Amino acid sequence: MPLGVAPILLLAGCAAPSALLLAGEDGHPTGALAVLGKNGGEQLLDKPLAAARMSRQHTTLKTMKTVKPAYQRLIATLPPPSKSFTLYFIEDTTTITPASREVLEQMRAEVARRPGAEVQVTGHTDTLGSEDYNDRLSLQRAREIVEFLVSQGFPRDALSAVGRGERDLAVQTGEGVANAQNRRVEVIVR
Amino acid sequence: MRVLAILAAFIATLICAELAFAEIGRVKSNLGTVAVDRSGHRLGVAPGVRLEPGDVLVTGSDGRMGITFIDGTRMALGPNSRVTLTTFQYDRTRQTGSFVTSVDRGSLGVVSGLIAKSQRDAMRVRTPTSMLGVRGTRFVVNVP
Repeated sequence: MPLGVAPILLLAGCAAPSALLLAGEDGHPTGALAVLGKNGGEQLLDKPLAAARMSRQHTTLKTMKTVKPAYQRLIATLPPPSKSFTLYFIEDTTTITPASREVLEQMRAEVARRPGAEVQVTGHTDTLGSEDYNDRLSLQRAREIVEFLVSQGFPRDALSAVGRGERDLAVQTGEGVANAQNRRVEVIVR
Repeated sequence: MRVLAILAAFIATLICAELAFAEIGRVKSNLGTVAVDRSGHRLGVAPGVRLEPGDVLVTGSDGRMGITFIDGTRMALGPNSRVTLTTFQYDRTRQTGSFVTSVDRGSLGVVSGLIAKSQRDAMRVRTPTSMLGVRGTRFVVNVP
């Protein structure tokens, strides 16, 4: 009896690694997953519940009908998506605007409800000045805001500063344009 | 003198590289038996524990772990899993990099982040039999 069982299990496809593409989270578009072949070819999963079984010899594709409970538990183990906040400061100071006070309290609540929370402070500039200069300026700005958040009781080891320069403009402008809306600080809590 | 200067510059580069490399993500949740193996040492796991390139994440038969990475990628490990963070390079200013995860056994759930968006197949997941290119997505990989 045991002798006969092994080949049947192999045929049933239990032994090979598998991949399952899921629908995008919270209405985000479904992406794609490619099983890359050694010769440069690929087999593409690009619909929700598309699955691949990848044995050493070959890959077979099919579409699943449901997500099995073990995978549902796995998805439930994923940390929640990060949350983004924008803080505004009185120009060239680390004095927060009255309207941003409330945002600060929302950030505090968000940090409190996430075990092992991280707070990433990203500085953005307008297009005045060179790209290199704006990279340095935005990082310096982010570091100032990190110090401000520490003074507000946010734990230092949760905080990090990133300078994004002029790469993510809030308002599209030409090169060399001063713009207050582009000079901003984005905070991501994850 | 010149040799000294070059040596000093080299050491400075190493220190900077070390700082840039140090932290790639953090543990956000853990349940049951879980561990991180780092260069031969077994580390305890709790929310907030920092992860580094080369770390091996291990879960027992009752173990689960949720983690986030600095590019926004999120992962979940199911029970009886062993997953290696083989390569992780990320430029936080340019939001580009490369990320290779190896699933040696067990199950891994992924929601990809900015590295996967930066270039085609900049994020890949390896299994004992195959290589997957991640094109901005949520998926599960299982290695029995």
